[in-house]
Amino acid sequence: MGLADIIKKGAFVDILRGMSVTGTYFVVDKMTVEYPKEKLQVYPRFRGVQALLTDPATGDTKCVACMLCATICPSGCIDIVGEQTADGRSRPASFKLDLSRCVFCGFCEEVCPEAAIVMTRHYELATFDKDDFYLDKEKLIANQVYVHKEVFAQPTEDTAPAPMEAGTANERGRS
Amino acid sequence: MSDPVAQLIFLIIKAIVMPVLIILIVAFAIFFERKFAGFFAGRVGPTYLGPWGSLQSFGDIFKLISKEDLIPAKSDKPVFKLAPYIAFVPVFLVMAVIPFGPVGGEANLFGYRFDYVIASFDAGLVLFLAMGAMAVYGVVLGGWSSNSNYSLLGGLRAGAQMISYELAMGFSAAGVMLMAGSMSLIDIVDGQAGNFWDWYWIPQIVGGLVFFVASIAELNRTPFDLAEAEQELVAGHLTEYSGMRWGMFYFAEYVNLVVVSMIVSTLYLGGWRAPLEVLDFIPGPIWLFLKICFLIFVYMWVRWTIIRYRYNQLMSIGWKVLLPLSIANLLVTAVVISAVN
Repeated sequence: MGLADIIKKGAFVDILRGMSVTGTYFVVDKMTVEYPKEKLQVYPRFRGVQALLTDPATGDTKCVACMLCATICPSGCIDIVGEQTADGRSRPASFKLDLSRCVFCGFCEEVCPEAAIVMTRHYELATFDKDDFYLDKEKLIANQVYVHKEVFAQPTEDTAPAPMEAGTANERGRS
Repeated sequence: MSDPVAQLIFLIIKAIVMPVLIILIVAFAIFFERKFAGFFAGRVGPTYLGPWGSLQSFGDIFKLISKEDLIPAKSDKPVFKLAPYIAFVPVFLVMAVIPFGPVGGEANLFGYRFDYVIASFDAGLVLFLAMGAMAVYGVVLGGWSSNSNYSLLGGLRAGAQMISYELAMGFSAAGVMLMAGSMSLIDIVDGQAGNFWDWYWIPQIVGGLVFFVASIAELNRTPFDLAEAEQELVAGHLTEYSGMRWGMFYFAEYVNLVVVSMIVSTLYLGGWRAPLEVLDFIPGPIWLFLKICFLIFVYMWVRWTIIRYRYNQLMSIGWKVLLPLSIANLLVTAVVISAVN
């Protein structure tokens, strides 16, 4: 241990340098987000709980019970029973989604040819009642309140498909 | 009312008010410890209970009281129950000898003489060192009686650490004793009359730093908190303690923090004296309180900055650095004092 080293240790140089770092953190603005009181803005492609969109014209769900989402779902949490309406249109008689098994991968939204099932940005799903995790058609349609506005700006079936290179969150499911 | 009766009444009042005040300081010291722990890491600390989270300690106390008091089946039960008190009581005794204002002199309160100290004891510094040595028995016995390997190791470490650092602490305090020519804390403060450059921290800068470092070890705080090193020993000597028994240890630790801050400010920072003589109109207890706050802040700053030393590093700092330094400081002080006189 050289003389310089002894002086450095005797004058607490390294310790004072460390204390100046913590002292800086003492006075700067704190990064803490006090969660229940204030929330972070989730990023645009955030995948929260699913919602079933309805057709504004008929008020019924856009889903045509094609079973693509139930097929692609990695955890197999979607269960659909289809039926035929009087005018020959196909629609789900029941649409069940088990949130306790859902991994929020968003494949159901990606694969949906009708853009009927979408991922919302709602993530506060904690509950005391396990039944709240078993979403049926009514609950999924009620989840529309969480759908962010950009989803409704999506091209509908009447308009032209979105160009491939756009590739934003809004056009997913159409490509 | 004769003077002895008045003194007795004053004594009872002081003996009640002083611990209560210190307990209040401790409650807020615990709150500020948690608050500053957050601040030093760029977080906000407790915010919910009371304005700015300031009632957090009282919430802690209610939680601790409501918790189950668990005593391990194979523990040494009488010792296990006694240990928190052994850690707790000696710390309070030291308060009695620390002056928090002028002592002696003429009548200053309702025609009677009010001494700003509970007991004008001639060997106050020795009492402090002795009680510090007593307090470690609480840790050692608590660790030993828990019948747990982690606790035992924590107690052993606390014992070894205390032996190593008490020596350096005593030697550096002896330098102050020589300068004041007395072991009484009242005389030590009287010896520091004047402005802040008359205090003992300038002539005793080496001894003061050694005393400060050793006092961190005495307080079992990071970077010398090997007795309850969480990463190695779960919680060291506190592993088997729960509820209010654990709370007693925790509380004693913070009372000790306040008392040691009082001792450091008494020995090196002029005790209750104002930093400049023109500020003497502000009463002594307020200056002592401000100095305690400053020292507690520094202790917290050190705690939340420096990581724990390894055990052999702790021992080599104690025996190879602090002890020789404190002895050299004592020798130089003695030579200079005898040369001046």
